[in-house]
Amino acid sequence: MSDATLDGAQPRSSLLVADPRTRKRNAAEARFRAYGLGAIVISMIMLVILLFTIVTGGVGAFRQTYLEIPVALDAAQLDKNGNRDPADIRKVLTLTYGKILEQSLQQAIADKGIAVAELSAKDVSNLISKEASAQLRNRVLADPELIGQTVEARVLVNGRVDGYYKGRVSMESAARDANTSPAQLQLADALKAQGMLATEWNWSFLTSPDASDQRPEAAGVGIAILGSLYMMLVVLALAVPIGVAASIYLEEFAPKNRWTDIIEVNISNLAAVPSIVFGILGLAAFINFAGLPQSAPIVGGLVLTLMTLPTIIIATRAALKAVPPSIRDAALGVGASKMQSVFHHVLPLAMPGILTGTIIGLAQALGETAPLLLIGMVAFVKNFPSAPPDGLFEPASALPVQVYNWTQRADPAFIERASGAIIVLLAFLLCMNLLAILLRRKFERRW
Amino acid sequence: MNDMRLLERSVDQTEIKISARDVQVWYGEKHAIRDVNVDLLDKTVTAFIGPSGCGKSTFLRCLNRMNDTIDISRVEGKIMLDGEDIYDKRVDPVQLRARVGMVFQKPNPFPKSIYDNVAYGPRIHGLARNRAELDEIVEKSLRGAALWNEVKDRLADPGTGLSGGQQQRLCIARAVATQPEVLLMDEPCSALDPIATSQVEELIDQLRAEFSVVIVTHSMQQAARVSQKTAFFHLGNLVEYGNTDDIFTNPRDPRTESYISGRIG
Repeated sequence: MSDATLDGAQPRSSLLVADPRTRKRNAAEARFRAYGLGAIVISMIMLVILLFTIVTGGVGAFRQTYLEIPVALDAAQLDKNGNRDPADIRKVLTLTYGKILEQSLQQAIADKGIAVAELSAKDVSNLISKEASAQLRNRVLADPELIGQTVEARVLVNGRVDGYYKGRVSMESAARDANTSPAQLQLADALKAQGMLATEWNWSFLTSPDASDQRPEAAGVGIAILGSLYMMLVVLALAVPIGVAASIYLEEFAPKNRWTDIIEVNISNLAAVPSIVFGILGLAAFINFAGLPQSAPIVGGLVLTLMTLPTIIIATRAALKAVPPSIRDAALGVGASKMQSVFHHVLPLAMPGILTGTIIGLAQALGETAPLLLIGMVAFVKNFPSAPPDGLFEPASALPVQVYNWTQRADPAFIERASGAIIVLLAFLLCMNLLAILLRRKFERRW
Repeated sequence: MNDMRLLERSVDQTEIKISARDVQVWYGEKHAIRDVNVDLLDKTVTAFIGPSGCGKSTFLRCLNRMNDTIDISRVEGKIMLDGEDIYDKRVDPVQLRARVGMVFQKPNPFPKSIYDNVAYGPRIHGLARNRAELDEIVEKSLRGAALWNEVKDRLADPGTGLSGGQQQRLCIARAVATQPEVLLMDEPCSALDPIATSQVEELIDQLRAEFSVVIVTHSMQQAARVSQKTAFFHLGNLVEYGNTDDIFTNPRDPRTESYISGRIG
């Protein structure tokens, strides 16, 4: 290095002029600052782009276009025997309800005097979502008294028409689309002008189950949210106590020998195991060996527990290590037992770190997809699981899997749904992080 | 400071509180303490002096088995507290430490309120039957540590918010609150300024009335000021043990003389 060979006999230079070495050092520092700032700016830009794409793509999922029409529930078609027997009413298929909706729509169009131009009757009825008849049937089954009356029905419209009001479909693209036509969109515009058609806030996105390929307008994340919630309950109930207890034992009580070293190395390695490997483990151990049901949140929760444990253990051990040894000495010095010193003094001090680690682990588990695919959480689930504990054993979906699922489908309306589901997922993650921060504040303020 | 008055006080106790016989301590392969034999008297301040790394703190930590917390340490020999071997298999170190309290080099109050700091020991040992008794113990201990007047109006404030000297006195109050028989102090003043040091030294002299106090110190002046008995350690050996006056005025061992006159250490 040239530093050592510098000639010490140089004349003293003025303090007012930076010498070349100082200038070089300052330049290096300025460069380093610029790199750091550049890195921050780049990551901020990426974050903004990410959020912008997701929000612009997904905000449409939270709005839905509905058609408000009077529907005459014809008793002759819906209840042939006329005795309102639920068993008989149940025999009437959605097909019949679909026809009733078609007739009602055509009637409504005729009443308002809207010209349907070259549209065929089939094209007109296509305005209505395929899901609408099923919803109407459910409504009637829930309240058989409606039969014979004319009710105002809020009917889901076809995904293309819905897309037209969210800017996804235009007249030009409709002209090239086999599933819709400019004339159909013009009819929808005419209905809108009459106040029969409106795009409103869509609660059902958050509450309804997934829907089939043909009816993206009906798809929701209800079951996925519930499934993710159930899995988080399992992870919380298992990973946190096991992880914290294991860390306390390893850090405070275990003798430091070869075995604990091996365990420590293995825990660190487990944290780096690809999550899909845990999925295979779960498939083999919990489904094939233990015989737990497929697609069930309990299995998902167990797999995610295995995955989260190393994260929680590593974070907890780091938090315990960070507690100054003088506190342990102080407690032991007044005659506290090892356990008292840990639980009265060390653990409360380590609590903020443990909570942060735990919640980061949970957030990681919430966003995990790969292992869930292997244990069958990717299945199409139409029925809500019941309340825990039974619900833990019934099929459910999960938010990240639902996102993955929807991005696989052909209809672009599902891309909007997928972005919507990502927004929901991000909202949950934000809430968890907020919780972590609040808890940390609360525990830190105690001292 | 009232150095001379303290120095003149003679040892008026002869009852042995702790007696150590052939104590050896190993840290792994390192033989840290060799053949230490010493009798520590009751109601007396005994100072351990010696250069850094001579084993005085190590020996102090043997007296309440704090060395147990260091995995690689090994203790041999006998240390008797009131005639009972504290390294006997049947002895629970937790019980021992309730009787042999300790104050550490760096003030280490718990990150809790002042009250809870002092009340912690009595609570875990069940020394108080109700809140009133606990209040009484806390007040008595804080008075004993000459801290009561400074903190009586803010007992709920965090102990870590006190000044360094106050924190150390709080630690002394905490140790006193468990009503120990012996109080071990590992360089209690090394992190304190001269004023706080003199307060703690006066306190040590008062504590002598109730406990046997063993203090490790780097400062020979401090040893001369507060102690009646002094033990000089060098390279793991107990070189000389005797009345403080004798050690400082008339050392028998040349190593002691070199140390107190500043030639080694």
